[in-house]
Amino acid sequence: MLVTWRFQKRKSFIQSFDPRAWLIFFVCFMASTLFFWDLRFLLFFAGIALFCIFTSGVTWKESKRAWLFIMGFILFFSVLTFLTGRGGMEFYTTEHIFTKLTAQFTLLGWRPTLTITAEKTIYAINMLIRVFSITSMTILIPYSLDPCLYGVAFRGLGLPDKISYGMDLTMRFIPTFGRDFSLTMDAQKARGYEIEKIKGGLFAQIRKLAPLMVPVTIRAIAGSEDIIDAMDLRAFGIGPRTWIDKLYYSHRDRFLIAGGIILLAFSLGVNLLGYGNFWVPQFLINLAP
Amino acid sequence: MKKWLSVILSLVAVLAFFFGIWLIGRLINPNLNLDQTALLRFVFVGIGLLIVFVVYLVTRENKMWEVGTRQVVYMAIGAALYAIFSYLFNGTVFVVPSVSQVALRPAIVIPMFFGYTFGPVVGFFTGAVGNMFGDALTGFGLSPQWSIGNGLVGFIAGLAWLFKDKKQGLNWVLIIGAAITVAITAFYFLNASTANGMFFDPANNIFGDAPITVFAGLSTLIGFVLVLLVRFIFGKNIDVAAAVTWSMIGNLVGIGFAALSDIWINKYPPAVAFVGEFLPSAGPNLIFAAILIPILVAAYFAVQKQTGR
Repeated sequence: MLVTWRFQKRKSFIQSFDPRAWLIFFVCFMASTLFFWDLRFLLFFAGIALFCIFTSGVTWKESKRAWLFIMGFILFFSVLTFLTGRGGMEFYTTEHIFTKLTAQFTLLGWRPTLTITAEKTIYAINMLIRVFSITSMTILIPYSLDPCLYGVAFRGLGLPDKISYGMDLTMRFIPTFGRDFSLTMDAQKARGYEIEKIKGGLFAQIRKLAPLMVPVTIRAIAGSEDIIDAMDLRAFGIGPRTWIDKLYYSHRDRFLIAGGIILLAFSLGVNLLGYGNFWVPQFLINLAP
Repeated sequence: MKKWLSVILSLVAVLAFFFGIWLIGRLINPNLNLDQTALLRFVFVGIGLLIVFVVYLVTRENKMWEVGTRQVVYMAIGAALYAIFSYLFNGTVFVVPSVSQVALRPAIVIPMFFGYTFGPVVGFFTGAVGNMFGDALTGFGLSPQWSIGNGLVGFIAGLAWLFKDKKQGLNWVLIIGAAITVAITAFYFLNASTANGMFFDPANNIFGDAPITVFAGLSTLIGFVLVLLVRFIFGKNIDVAAAVTWSMIGNLVGIGFAALSDIWINKYPPAVAFVGEFLPSAGPNLIFAAILIPILVAAYFAVQKQTGR
């Protein structure tokens, strides 16, 4: 049985657009965000993301799990970035040190030390805002795009029928296989399999993953026969495909597409002119002793 | 003929577009050269697609290129499974701990298995689209050249379909795999002091603050030896032997393509791209392939035998 994303028809900003227009805007938004490491530009993109979230009509109750996971993930990596400076050294070579915190204890002779610098702090904030903007816009897609329109939307974007239907099925299968994975995990746990305690060397770890991966994969393939039969009975792929739902662009859709393209062109232009690179506010640099 | 022309013209147009952007871009900003822009990622997407297209052109008579209902459904299943496993194993839900600085990505066996079992088109879609959805679900953003690299893993695993007799070509694939493994391992010993991928300092041209461990450095060799063992231990079960062997070459070429692209995209020196990036990911992938692919192939063919489909 297919499990679907938690889509509901709502009177929201996102759903007032054609899904193709929204997907084009989303891709332009994401590509534009990736051009920047400047906090001032990133805040603008975060603003767009926040606007979309608050006008999406998606309630906290229904999306709580996804948000908690994503926020936990973003915070974990941002804190890791802040503690280690991971990845930031690509953008700066000198650092302005605020303070150096040294632990009172040692671990096997090593004394943990945390150096807080202006660059490291801004880089961690940039990372947080950048990932938040992209992931929050991504989260909204399954809640806001009607699963019935996945295929026709991809077709409308110019993909061939078979690839469009393949993308449609992929998006539909993801929550189903997520459910199957949970069921398999529960079944294995009931048999005394301790999934949370995967220990041992590399080979032992790999071997212990088989009871999770193999049943889910084989079940998915074996279960696909019904879908294949249903598609064959409807003569899938014999001629050009028709879709029950038809999509039409309205003026507001064209405006949104134009907005997305202008945003992308603007970001590209600004980047080409050398703006939008890593930036540290002067007042933060001045704070360093 | 008209179809061919339109496909070739589309590919040329895409490449011309990126070339034009670079040409104009560096005139506006002299610092902005090809190796300094994110657009290069898309150039490598173009190169990856071109590789697939050339293979298609050369072998277009083969029935492995047919895409029917079955293939469309398998493409979707493969991509969805790869995405969900990537999300579960690489995200924070159920993290497989890394060992000796190697990134453990058990999900990689999905494009390998789907490529070998259902053909290169299914393999490519599974790897490329699955990686894209997996990254989106996990919140990593998009790395299009890595998606294409993952697509190539499945695509090359599916090239086993070029041969009617699965035994054909296996020895050549092993020889090519052995040559790549020996070369990359020798390269590791020549650059054993290259640090792993935690920090990058362009000024000092170093990547990370600690050299990769000997285990990580030798992981490709260890993986290749395991593949070799599976090839000969399962000599009679040719599907298992062929699946592991073709997955091995798919992994080396696909991940190699993505690591190679980072020499231009992320300005990594070759030693960093291959020792710091390729070895810790391609090596463990080979070990996963050698252990999990035989189990998947055996289970699949048992089910196929039972259902008769």
